[in-house]
Amino acid sequence: MTRARLRGAPWPLLSLAGLVGVWALAAAWAASPVLPGPLDVLAAARREVAAGYFFHLGATLARVAAAFALSMSIGAAIGVALGMSRAADRAFGGWLTLFLNLPALVTIILCYVWFGLTETAAITAVALNKIPNVAATLREGARALSRDLAEMAAVYRLPWRARLVHVAAPQLAPYLAVAARNGLALVWKIVLVVELLGRPNGVGFQLSLHFQLFDVAAILAYALGFVLVVQIVEWTVLQPWERRAARWRR
Amino acid sequence: MSGPPEKTAGVDTLRVDVRAKRFGAAQVLGRVAFTLAAGETAALLGPSGVGKSTLLAMVAGTDADFDGAIARPPGRLAMVFQTPRLLPWRTLAENIALIPGAGGIDAARALLARVGLGAAADQHPERVSLGMQRRAALARALAVRPALLLMDEPLVSLDVESAQAMRALIAQTLAETGAAALIATHDRREALALTGRLLELGGAPATLLSDRASPLDAAARADPALVEALHAAWF
Repeated sequence: MTRARLRGAPWPLLSLAGLVGVWALAAAWAASPVLPGPLDVLAAARREVAAGYFFHLGATLARVAAAFALSMSIGAAIGVALGMSRAADRAFGGWLTLFLNLPALVTIILCYVWFGLTETAAITAVALNKIPNVAATLREGARALSRDLAEMAAVYRLPWRARLVHVAAPQLAPYLAVAARNGLALVWKIVLVVELLGRPNGVGFQLSLHFQLFDVAAILAYALGFVLVVQIVEWTVLQPWERRAARWRR
Repeated sequence: MSGPPEKTAGVDTLRVDVRAKRFGAAQVLGRVAFTLAAGETAALLGPSGVGKSTLLAMVAGTDADFDGAIARPPGRLAMVFQTPRLLPWRTLAENIALIPGAGGIDAARALLARVGLGAAADQHPERVSLGMQRRAALARALAVRPALLLMDEPLVSLDVESAQAMRALIAQTLAETGAAALIATHDRREALALTGRLLELGGAPATLLSDRASPLDAAARADPALVEALHAAWF
């Protein structure tokens, strides 16, 4: 193989194929139902599709979307406010640190105890876990906002909408992207815990069910399906948006 | 202080009457008082760090923390900052068009063409040279048809040719707009070539050392030999 062909090879795919190969070998060597091979997992996925795989996946995705949207908007608002006002940061910065370090499980249990085993409680619990994270990231972004450009906007009498859209938002975009990427990863993990503890459907509920049945193949089928969905969101939404946002850079 | 011929101080006059400006404990400006009539151009001359940019920020209204009073003329204010301060994520034309009163993207393109940037109108600022960014910033200032135009070292860190082109452009646009203009610079020749009046800042805290009206009219200021002669006579 020449150098050029080596460079053009689809390395990420080859690398993943290698991982599947290692997994298949390990499964064959273990020959145990607690370590099923790729083919067993595929068969389990087929079974689960007939038993409502996409219904549960959809329920989880809906919760992820709701909690993600809530935490991004509320967290961004809080973060920008803290970053722009030193008084606000002094007053509430400590709260942020506290909530950042509050274990997810505690928020989830408290929400279920206070609001009952409801959908609202579930989504609130997930959002509460993510909001401090988004706020901390956006606070850094707001602190780094250019004073020079703010002065320019003031001298040229830009209305607040224009300042938001043309001056502030593009400066905050990289911070929003970081918060979104970390947020998605965190939110979908916590959603599973929330479902496991108190929801009658969703991937988390299915995982706990199959755990009780010791059906490892089904558990892996759900896990891989979810990883695939998150990866697709990364490729089709996050990466194109970041490329668009970075168009002006040299 | 050798007083300039006293102009009738109308309502469209910039009136600066600063008693003191401090940053923390350090006083950077002492008493600085002058008026600038409508259409009058003046240079704020002084060494780097003397407080010219500070005074300009006070005149622009972005720094209101000082003792004294500044009355700006009615109408729009425009400023050409020392760094261009264009939005890097918007094209040159968009940078102008998004200013209220600039009159949309076509007017922005026309204005850019006037400062020699017709071909670069749809480029992003970081993809063009500093000289071109400066010209775009000047076009943005002209776009609001200002009553008062402030410029902070408009020629600094440009190469000789760009500086010459920019100087000619500023002189021409000042003559065309009829806006009152206050130009901060450390360069005496630049001050003599661009404006009809020299306000010299100096000392610590800085005060107005002198206020001299130039004998050169706009046409004479374009002649380097006359500027050089006046420079030799004055400094």
